[in-house]
Amino acid sequence: MSVQGNGARILIVDDEELSRQILLDTLGFVGYVVDCADSGWDAWEKLDAAPTNFYDLVLLDRSMPGLDGMELLARIRQDNRLLHLPVIMQTAVATSEDIADGIKAGAYYYLAKPLNLKLLLSVVGQAVEEQRTRRRLQDDLEKRAAAMRLLRAGLFRFRTPDEANSLASALARSYPTNRNLAFGLTEMFMNAIEHGNLGISYDEKSRLIDEGRLDQEIQTRLSHPDFRDRAATVEVQRLAEDVHFCIRDEGEGFDWLPYLEIDPSRAFSTHGRGIAMSRRLSFDRIDYRGAGNEVNCTVRLSEGHEVAWASTVPMNIRDMSEDLKTAHDMQSTLLPTQAQIDEILSVSGMHVSSVFRPNKEIGGDVWGAIPLDENRLAIYLADFTGHGVTAALNTFRLDTLIKYTIEDRDKPGVYLTRLNQKMAQILPVGHYCTMLYGVIDKRRGLFTFAAAAAPPPLVFEPVSRELWKGDSRGLPLGVYAAMTYKDREMPFPMGGMVMLFSDALSEARPEAARPIGVGGVSEGLRQHAAQGGALEAEAIVEAIINGWESPLSIVDDLTVLCCQRAF
Amino acid sequence: MKFNISDSNGRRVFSLLDQMTFADRAALDQVLPQLMAGGIRELAVDMERLDYMDSAGLGMLLTLRDQASRASITVTLVKPQGDVKDLLVLACFDTLFKIEY
Repeated sequence: MSVQGNGARILIVDDEELSRQILLDTLGFVGYVVDCADSGWDAWEKLDAAPTNFYDLVLLDRSMPGLDGMELLARIRQDNRLLHLPVIMQTAVATSEDIADGIKAGAYYYLAKPLNLKLLLSVVGQAVEEQRTRRRLQDDLEKRAAAMRLLRAGLFRFRTPDEANSLASALARSYPTNRNLAFGLTEMFMNAIEHGNLGISYDEKSRLIDEGRLDQEIQTRLSHPDFRDRAATVEVQRLAEDVHFCIRDEGEGFDWLPYLEIDPSRAFSTHGRGIAMSRRLSFDRIDYRGAGNEVNCTVRLSEGHEVAWASTVPMNIRDMSEDLKTAHDMQSTLLPTQAQIDEILSVSGMHVSSVFRPNKEIGGDVWGAIPLDENRLAIYLADFTGHGVTAALNTFRLDTLIKYTIEDRDKPGVYLTRLNQKMAQILPVGHYCTMLYGVIDKRRGLFTFAAAAAPPPLVFEPVSRELWKGDSRGLPLGVYAAMTYKDREMPFPMGGMVMLFSDALSEARPEAARPIGVGGVSEGLRQHAAQGGALEAEAIVEAIINGWESPLSIVDDLTVLCCQRAF
Repeated sequence: MKFNISDSNGRRVFSLLDQMTFADRAALDQVLPQLMAGGIRELAVDMERLDYMDSAGLGMLLTLRDQASRASITVTLVKPQGDVKDLLVLACFDTLFKIEY
């Protein structure tokens, strides 16, 4: 009888002694190793202290005093070490809503109380088995990835989208430091198939996507006599300092030049950004040859591949799923690159620095800086309600709107009024964004801005250490279409700095205390400057966060933008 | 989010306590039908004991306002305090709601 358990380790979490005893006896009898916890907190301590993969399963009572089953489950799912640990939820009250909630929270197995022991053993057996299979697969994958890193040269042939996808992710594993390689290779491989071998033009693809027939058309052409013998190849060559991926297809080629940059006229299109994005995110060089059916993509193996924002992203980035990683990378393309920031410095003499730390992989904040002429720089920071995917999608909408709304960029009130009219049509009720849009005018020594419920802009003069706080009252964007936003002015002296921040900074809290507020931000900035700290976003944020007895906790997307007059 | 619902002098009073944040959206969605039921004309959101509201709380007030106006119910925000009051002022919510200080 003692074969089922096979040494798998289970943690039982139940506040009732009798329930624990029954589970312990039953599961112990069939060969499981069982630990017990008599409360949610007790369980959390045990899980937190255990080595990785120590437990194979948690059997969790939903209703307990203190930290209850749902709350413990939420903690487990938020912990990267425990993310995949299977949890069986036991519950006496099980409405379909409760169960739906539990499943959403990550409990995939359910047992009703009072317990049916036979059912218990069968569900436990299944959950443990699935967990072990998953771990075995993961080990396999890691071993293979290690082998791929030995690759020095190779030629691969692919014909279908499935082959292209799996080849791209396998090749990407050979260079794990380049997070975006899978994305870039997939794009380039798919181009070779769709536009190369299968001869689908840009316009045809738009139409096929529109009609929902792209996949079907690809399948049809793959088996069509004209195309079915065509294959694409990728030749990989790893040299001392770089890796080359040379991709060839058997099509007629195409006019690749317009696709190297993202063309605003294609911003609303369903496709056509792949090459430009790959060029920006995944590769150091993309060189098309001849008619366009051969392309060489180069990745440098040294550091320095990252774009400007990369140093500010959270550390848990390597744990993201592939999709979120792509989304995260796409979102980063909305922000100015280091090259653009350098150009702003040389054109308008404004030193721009920023911190961009989404709370999750992707966030609801976006900022930008647009040089108007040699004296004027437009800057903005917007923060959408909520976090995560919905908010992040809205940042793309706003970014597109801003790129298309070119008139009146030098008139903050008029500009914000225009943006609001459009946002009000797009955003559903209850969704909105706070925004501050302003123009720094060096010649006139003025910062003119319009605000929609954003935190107040701060202007700081480092010699006199004078600090001005702007009035940023205004209805959030997207709430009321007929709202007009007015210009407000602040002084912008020689050597001065404008600082914009999202409310995550003023809402940051010291342990068990109230948020630091705009006062805390201003004070932190003053003290940082008094100690001779650089008026640079990263340094200022660190000074504010660490200026308290314990570091502040920040629970929202954090964005800070600083512009200082360099000459 | 903690709350009470009571009726007094033909006006429904929705009292919010402690805090209203991003995490409370589902709870508000659940209580909305009950809040609007019974053919009432006036809804007072009592904020006197609401200590904290984040920007998502503003979004929830907008949802409440939208649902109420569909049912021809006027919403009044009553006695917002401290940070909550500051946030309402920052967002110019006095242009959208009647606010009794």
